[in-house]
Amino acid sequence: MLLIISTVSIISCKKQLDVNNPNQPTPESAKSEAGIISLSQGSIYRNGFRDLKFSDGVYGSFWSGAIGFHEMMGDVVQAEAANAYINQIGTPDKVMLDNGTVLLNPNSPNTFKAMLRQVNTNANQGGNFVFYEWAYMYAMLHGANSILSIVNDVNYTSEAEVKKATVKAWAYFWKGYAYARIGSIYYAGLIINSPAETNGNYFTKEQIIAESNSNFDKAAASLASITNTAGYNDILGKIIPSFTQIGKGTLPTPDMWKRMMNTLKARNILVNTTTATMTAAQWNSIFTLTNSGILTTDKVFTSRSNATSDLLSASDGTVTSRAQGASATAASYKLTERYVQEFKTGDKRYTNNIRQSAVWIGNSDRGNSFNTRFTLINGGSGLANVVVYANVAVGGQELMIAGQYEENDLMKAEALINTNQVDAGLAIIDAVRTSQGAGLTAVSGTGLTLVQAKEELRRERRVTLAFIGLSFYDARRWGVINLLSEGGGRKGAIEIAPTTGVVNTNATFEYGYLDYWDVPDTELAYNSPVTGSAPVKNPK
Amino acid sequence: MGKLLFLIGIILFPFLNRTEAQTGTITGTVTDSKDGTPLQGVTVRVKGGGTVITAFDGSFTIRNAKPEVSIDYTFVGYSSKTVKAKPGSVLKIDMETDAKALSEIVVTGVGVATSKKKLGISVESVTAEKLPAAPTASVDQALIGKIAGAQISSTNGSPGAKTNILLRGVNTLNRGTSPMILLDGMEVGATDLNSLDLSGVERIEVVQGAASATIYGAQGANGVIQLFSKKGKPGKISIDFSSSASSNTLLNIGNLHKSAFHSFATNANNDVVNAAGVPLVLDPIILAYKDAAPINLIDTGAMQNKPYNRNLQYVDHFKMFLQTAYTTNNSIAVSGARDKIDFNISASDNRQNSNFKGNGDYSRSNLLTNIGIELSKNLKFRSITQLVYTKNTQVDQSGRTMFFSLNNSRPFANYNLNDSLGNHGIYYGDVVGVNSSNPNFRTQYTNYKNVKIDVVQSFNLNYKPVKFVELDAKYGLNYQTQDVVQNILPQDNNANAAYKKSWRSNYFSPAAPENTGEIDNYRYRTTFQNILGTATFRTDFKNDFNINIPLQTTTQVSFDYRKNMYNELITWGADAPSFRPYTASQMITFKTASDYTEPFITYGYLVNQRFEIGEYAGISAGLRSDYSSAFGLGSKPFTFPRGDAYLRLSSFNFWSDSRVHDIVPEFKLRAAYGQAGIQPKPFDRYVTLNTQGFGNNVAFVYPTTSSNPNLDVEVSKEFEIGTDIALNVLKGAWFKTINLSATYWNRTTDNAIYNVDVAPSSGLGALKSNAFGLGAKGLQASLNVNVLSSKDLTWNFTTNFSKETSVIRSVVGSQIVVTSSAGSSNYVLKAGDKVGQLYGYMMIHSLEEKDPNGVDFIAKANQGNYTIASNGWVVNKVTKQPFVSAGQYALGDPNPKFNMSFINDFSYKGFFNISMQWDWINGSNLYNQTKEWMYRDGIHGDYANPLTIDGQTGAYTAFYRGVYAQVTANGTKNYFLEDASFGRLRNLSVALDIARLVKIPGFRKLQLILSGRNLVTFTKYTGMDPEVSSGTSNSAFDRGVDHNTIPNIKSYQVGINLGF
Repeated sequence: MLLIISTVSIISCKKQLDVNNPNQPTPESAKSEAGIISLSQGSIYRNGFRDLKFSDGVYGSFWSGAIGFHEMMGDVVQAEAANAYINQIGTPDKVMLDNGTVLLNPNSPNTFKAMLRQVNTNANQGGNFVFYEWAYMYAMLHGANSILSIVNDVNYTSEAEVKKATVKAWAYFWKGYAYARIGSIYYAGLIINSPAETNGNYFTKEQIIAESNSNFDKAAASLASITNTAGYNDILGKIIPSFTQIGKGTLPTPDMWKRMMNTLKARNILVNTTTATMTAAQWNSIFTLTNSGILTTDKVFTSRSNATSDLLSASDGTVTSRAQGASATAASYKLTERYVQEFKTGDKRYTNNIRQSAVWIGNSDRGNSFNTRFTLINGGSGLANVVVYANVAVGGQELMIAGQYEENDLMKAEALINTNQVDAGLAIIDAVRTSQGAGLTAVSGTGLTLVQAKEELRRERRVTLAFIGLSFYDARRWGVINLLSEGGGRKGAIEIAPTTGVVNTNATFEYGYLDYWDVPDTELAYNSPVTGSAPVKNPK
Repeated sequence: MGKLLFLIGIILFPFLNRTEAQTGTITGTVTDSKDGTPLQGVTVRVKGGGTVITAFDGSFTIRNAKPEVSIDYTFVGYSSKTVKAKPGSVLKIDMETDAKALSEIVVTGVGVATSKKKLGISVESVTAEKLPAAPTASVDQALIGKIAGAQISSTNGSPGAKTNILLRGVNTLNRGTSPMILLDGMEVGATDLNSLDLSGVERIEVVQGAASATIYGAQGANGVIQLFSKKGKPGKISIDFSSSASSNTLLNIGNLHKSAFHSFATNANNDVVNAAGVPLVLDPIILAYKDAAPINLIDTGAMQNKPYNRNLQYVDHFKMFLQTAYTTNNSIAVSGARDKIDFNISASDNRQNSNFKGNGDYSRSNLLTNIGIELSKNLKFRSITQLVYTKNTQVDQSGRTMFFSLNNSRPFANYNLNDSLGNHGIYYGDVVGVNSSNPNFRTQYTNYKNVKIDVVQSFNLNYKPVKFVELDAKYGLNYQTQDVVQNILPQDNNANAAYKKSWRSNYFSPAAPENTGEIDNYRYRTTFQNILGTATFRTDFKNDFNINIPLQTTTQVSFDYRKNMYNELITWGADAPSFRPYTASQMITFKTASDYTEPFITYGYLVNQRFEIGEYAGISAGLRSDYSSAFGLGSKPFTFPRGDAYLRLSSFNFWSDSRVHDIVPEFKLRAAYGQAGIQPKPFDRYVTLNTQGFGNNVAFVYPTTSSNPNLDVEVSKEFEIGTDIALNVLKGAWFKTINLSATYWNRTTDNAIYNVDVAPSSGLGALKSNAFGLGAKGLQASLNVNVLSSKDLTWNFTTNFSKETSVIRSVVGSQIVVTSSAGSSNYVLKAGDKVGQLYGYMMIHSLEEKDPNGVDFIAKANQGNYTIASNGWVVNKVTKQPFVSAGQYALGDPNPKFNMSFINDFSYKGFFNISMQWDWINGSNLYNQTKEWMYRDGIHGDYANPLTIDGQTGAYTAFYRGVYAQVTANGTKNYFLEDASFGRLRNLSVALDIARLVKIPGFRKLQLILSGRNLVTFTKYTGMDPEVSSGTSNSAFDRGVDHNTIPNIKSYQVGINLGF
């Protein structure tokens, strides 16, 4: 009897076992038009810029954390907090004050290279700052590869070929973007072409940059096949989050998108070659690319906060939002004296964005160059038609995430200046300043020497292209990060002395940073290089 | 309460009419000599013919008795008795409990009620009267130290905090160490152990591993704690009332305190000054120090030797925020039994407040009914219901967030100040410490209400249709609803928060003061159902079949179905409107943060066959086979075997006839083996995409940890071998009997599931994998000594011993790195290491000290730069900072080498009782993360301790700061891994029962109790309490970090117990 009851029960129970997971879609759900839109959106914007297994609110996700680390090494912002060693990322090896006093990095170990090597272990988990950019970008590649793996299987409701081409362009574009960032900071990288897979064949950074360009080319080719923009607008208009589609973030046309890629390809060359070794051919390539790069009126890919912080948190999702506040005490990222000193006298961008307060001195045992008098003014000080850097209102800050007109044109200007067209280059600098409302006197036509022109360009790049992950590239290619004995470092710098708070105006900085980071140990611990791989550790 | 009693009386009145006694034969009642409780089921055998069994009220009737008969009374658990009687006699037989334990009956782990003498496994049991009335009135707290083989630790002193329970080592990493909880035979799948009513518990049985627990299926692999509810007993209706109140203060055994001195820059008057030399002032409008005060803790000359006696005054933050808390417990129980009905109805109420000022309160009320009805001969019905209402208003439920912010505030911030509008400030400025914040701000702006209602209901129908067969059906429903509302009030006018741009919020990030204000609603529902049908077939070859073989068999066949449904709905609204009052629906921004359902179904059957050969030996074997929804439709059931055997050497003639028997009347050897499958969590095998609202679309996002459709079940295998021995040592009052039980166990787990990190280039963070092989072994023993049993005075002594060690046998890849959920501290899970080993950097005690590979920590050439400071650590002569290794090493196993408890009970004439329990945890380590954080900003009291380095003496800050910052700021370092062994007077109580001293009409009991908990602790640990742990509750490995945990409380309690 009992056996019968049991048997009946077991049979009737068996159906109940089929619970699945009623809360979430499965990967199959992505294989519809709506599904691939959702995947194209989430796997790039969230997996690529936001969701990682490690996180920490002190430096946040990609646009404040991974990008913040660049800005620290670029001496634009620094931090006193020690989470993921952010107090040490921006601490120079050595600072010589006006009176000759030498300040060594007070941390242990007390050089950047030794610190990076010690920190870069798998056991350090989320504390290993070398991990983040790598992980974000490979998560983005995983997203892009996943999109590509199903793009042909989707039943599109209409204009299948156009939509397919748009989605492919989207995926190849972000692959190009991810490889660009990997190849521009890591000594070696991996090329991955299928979702959720990896391999142990490491390539040199140069090969990774080549892979970036090749993906941009694939994206451009896919865009070239689009003749009917209705289908393009329909699907891209849904992939790009609705709340970013204002201002510069309105949908770009296929041509604008192609121009974005030209700008990024120019960046690939510029930031990965030291200025000293740039060839005329390279300058010419940059000129050619930027000539068909982002125009002043172009729409580009942007990011923005909304009330529910789906992409960015309004209050602290970006580097600038962490560097604003009533005083340096209130800002988790300290705006450095060296950044602020780049503004030319009378620059309205300074008046509109930089607040000076009493000297703030952090713990001297954590660093010294984070001491500062400055913060960014939230929302600007109200000058009309002058660019605003920080805005923590919901949706207040428009962050250009994949190139912008100012970068394009400053690259063009640099190419011109370095190819004996100094004044043409200076005219572009003037145009950029005008577009930002700087209110500075034009420098073109004033007969500046080549050296003076280069200095105008340097300062303009430092001011205009800060906070978005380009500052370290510049410091690297200009040789600022190198040892004084190698001709590197920075002279005439402003530094507030620890303990005394004395403002030194002619300090000398020796940064001693590593130009390209080693591959994160977080990767190597699970994916050893196979024979024939490129070296994964920077020999420097 | 009066109304309740009246109601109970009305309901029970019809059942309570007395029945007439019969005459003409021999009649009688059998009662327990201890308290006069009638004993049901006693075998009453007339020599020369006839056997009857006592009824529920202990009564029996023998008809047609011969003129002079001798009657034997036997009952398990009691000493047999023989009394002569004549027809017409009305006998009153008192039976004494058998002091030689092992006569106890247990059911847990064996399925069928069995005498401890005939067990092949070890089952620990403890009766209600042996459980101390801890101020929390919770079962888990009461069990600490009572169960040999178990490590039960009170790891957080906040009201409502759970204990960590580890029964026999680590079995699984995925599922933690929590054992399965059974209440009267049914799994309690939704309600926490610490919610169940301690005063309603009659006894508790514990089985600890697969060898015994596999009969409960996969969920039993971590062991089983089974509670038995009190039942009504025949006789007059009893009414029991008890009430107690206690006063509780937080322990601070290691005298944790902040340094009374500082090392800020000062002017000639010892005013702390800013960089410009101007004395620091607190801005009274914004309640903040706007300026920083220069401080350089690694300055080789800096000493922490300046008193806070000028513009900055010392504030004792502990005095400011830690208060004496109070607890009250009240309970009333009405119970009785008559004819075919027994009942026990009880209500209890526990109230506690937080030791942290303004943090809120905790209260729990339980209503319990246990009603049994004999529907017809051989058909019994029982319904047991427990309703629990728990309310927790603690703003910080674990207390750790507030304690962290307080402990990281330099001790001059006067957090009780108000601004002109009467508001508290959140952050007094960097000079107070960048990790500081004012707990008053949190409590001012937050209301928290966490309400849980639990229903634990079971119905049981038991039928014995024919002699050999018993059918038993049970249905259990365990439902929990939990609603949490966190109301964060708008902070619009708070000048300090506006200045600091720091507001309290949870889901929402306000950008400005006017965006503050948030209401979070959390709704959790758990419905757990369990159906258990059991058929038991019993045969006795001699009595039933007249075959002269002393063989008894028991066959158990069960069908067991369990279904759990968990739902959560979390919504929040933020950015409060300007008008008052408002609700979440009037917020500017709102969102559903979670809407989640988790169904889980498992079912299967159990077959167990048991043979007993007379009194000599027994053997049993069985298997359990289960389906699980974690594996979906079409999956195969998982089947696991078990078996046990025992041999009672003392029952053989060679033993019982020898003189050995006089000294060792009971000697048993036993062994058991079992396997249990631990299933993956419900969705571990289902691959899904996460979703994320993106403006007007919902995006698909890859989870950072990926599910794995290939996950297999974890298999735990356990072997145990043990002995139960009774000794009659001396004949007199002293050392009459000693009972010793000891068990050695060894177990392994294969395929233990863990989220294993994968190469980031694959685009994933981690993948759920069958990653680990685990192994654990240990020894448990308990010793009961009847030290003295004279006419007036009895003294019983019990000691329980547990020793276990859990290691990782194998792991996929080389190692798995884990950060404590408490933050900052590193664990590494690596083959060959203990589970829960902490990893970190080494400070050393000798210049020549070598690392585990035999390499000098300090290269020979550099050793001259170092010296040994007066505190024993190697320091750099110039920087005065300690040497810290560049690499990381295994620092030590936080788990104790063994733990023991020593329990003494004294009773004088039954009315005066003293009981005392000492717990001894030996060889445990605790990572003092609290101290490490307090080293960060020069806050910890150690900073004021001078030390001598290379001939110079002073309170050098460089040393202490160096401990924190060298090599890795806040890195895990051996310096902070402290010996946390401790001895603790867990419980001391003195009770006087006046009703036993003098007869008071109507009173059965009038007992006054004075008791104390955690009164004395011996330890070398320098934190507040060596017993705490900040890791996830009941984590398998995260057990060794103290990160600003609320310590346990020292309590003094007065109570009164009344029985009518």
